[in-house]
Amino acid sequence: MPARIELARVGKVFAGLHRGQAPVAALEDVDLAIATEQIVTVIGPSGCGKTSLLNLVAGFERPTTGTILVDGRPPERPGPDRSFVFQSTALFAWLTVEDNVVFGPKHRGEAPERYRRRAGELIEAVGLGGWERHYPYQLSGGMRQRVQLARALINQPAVLLMDEPFGALDAQTRARMQELLLGIWGVYHPTVLLVTHDVEEAILLSHEVHVMTRSPGRIKQSVPVPFAIPRSLDLVGSPEFAALKYSLLKSLWEEMP
Amino acid sequence: MPGRAYVLLSWLTVAAVVVAWWAVTAGGFVSPFVLPSPLELVRELRELAAQGYAEKPLAQHVLASLARTFTGLGLGLAVGIPVGLVMGASPAVYAILSPIFAFLRPIPPIAFIPLMILFFGIGEFSKIFLIFMAALWYVVLNTSAGVRTVSHDLLRAGQNLGLTRLQLFRHVLFWAALPHILTGVKTATAVSWAIVVAAELIAAQAGLGFLVMDAATFFRVPDVYLGIIFIGVIGLALEAVTRSLERALLHWQGR
Repeated sequence: MPARIELARVGKVFAGLHRGQAPVAALEDVDLAIATEQIVTVIGPSGCGKTSLLNLVAGFERPTTGTILVDGRPPERPGPDRSFVFQSTALFAWLTVEDNVVFGPKHRGEAPERYRRRAGELIEAVGLGGWERHYPYQLSGGMRQRVQLARALINQPAVLLMDEPFGALDAQTRARMQELLLGIWGVYHPTVLLVTHDVEEAILLSHEVHVMTRSPGRIKQSVPVPFAIPRSLDLVGSPEFAALKYSLLKSLWEEMP
Repeated sequence: MPGRAYVLLSWLTVAAVVVAWWAVTAGGFVSPFVLPSPLELVRELRELAAQGYAEKPLAQHVLASLARTFTGLGLGLAVGIPVGLVMGASPAVYAILSPIFAFLRPIPPIAFIPLMILFFGIGEFSKIFLIFMAALWYVVLNTSAGVRTVSHDLLRAGQNLGLTRLQLFRHVLFWAALPHILTGVKTATAVSWAIVVAAELIAAQAGLGFLVMDAATFFRVPDVYLGIIFIGVIGLALEAVTRSLERALLHWQGR
């Protein structure tokens, strides 16, 4: 399968924020290839540069060294072909659920009859049927992330970038969102690059897990996940799951300062 | 105490002030020339309503003041919101413009009245320009402060969805900064109303400020009081209008 996202020797250095502070290397020599229609997770200790990695692919920032290619082109600016799901709500609080979902195609000048139909379908798919006219303040944390997911998927993105999207949710809500994401993937098959600090989530959701070193981050280990999708939450109880989780956790623990 | 009881308390204060006022005048503690009784004011109000003031109906004086306020305020918003948005979004523009605004802000707009007359004469333009300037400061400062509170992620969400720079201003920054913008509008409205009256005190042929000044010149003391009461009541009404405007425009905050 061809690689949809390719990172070659990517490095990112941030200038010191205050006077007298040395520049900080967030990423160093990151090599990564992500195949089309795969869910790939990056885990690593906090501050290891996982979010920076995502921001580079999104085009919010430029790499200091190395090259990034998404479908053969460097991501020079943000765009809906690489739709982003933020950890924070990042919804437009002044718009209803439906207007949030159609925000991208509407302002890019797409024909309303086309995006309205997709919006209706997606709002149902993320389980928000009947909530179209509600405002974000009226929704729970899990529902807000469902809106973000629909707002990203309506762009029919080649790549879905997710920055700890379920990190702020309680355990049950998080489990339901994980199931939802797998279900959605089964229908739309986007290539997903997901960043998380939760090892269980990484195994449950992805085809491959990449472990990063502590800052400056580089990929230290890439582990394919052997379980077939669709997966159920029962997987968490299996010995194979436990063994994989333990080996990934050990790999992470080595990076704790 | 239920909410209604607090409202009643507020009205009791109003009633107490009127009663005390009446008692002071009826008891002969002050000269009726300096402080006319409330009843005298009611009589004079009927007179004003029927005869007008300075050969103009009372409504014309009220409308003259309101028209100046809203023209100046409207221009201040039309210029101030875009300038504030750009200032808040661009550190370079902020650096260029902020010295001007920082210097002008602590100067009471009324101090510019003589200069306005020198530049633009005593016509409508000088008064409207003064109000425009005062409204501009408040709107620009609040808008740019509002933009700087907008979360990074929200702006990035807009960029990620493919919006152009202009669309980001119109469809993301403006709305996200709207709560702060409206705070600026509320302050600007109150200040504009105060300034229009001050400007009319100095040079005008109609308006509530003119009425107060002219009545004082001709010792029509009850009309001075009535003019002041009008200014206060209309100021309260403006405050109520801007507050309900704020509630309507910010319903999505869910407060």
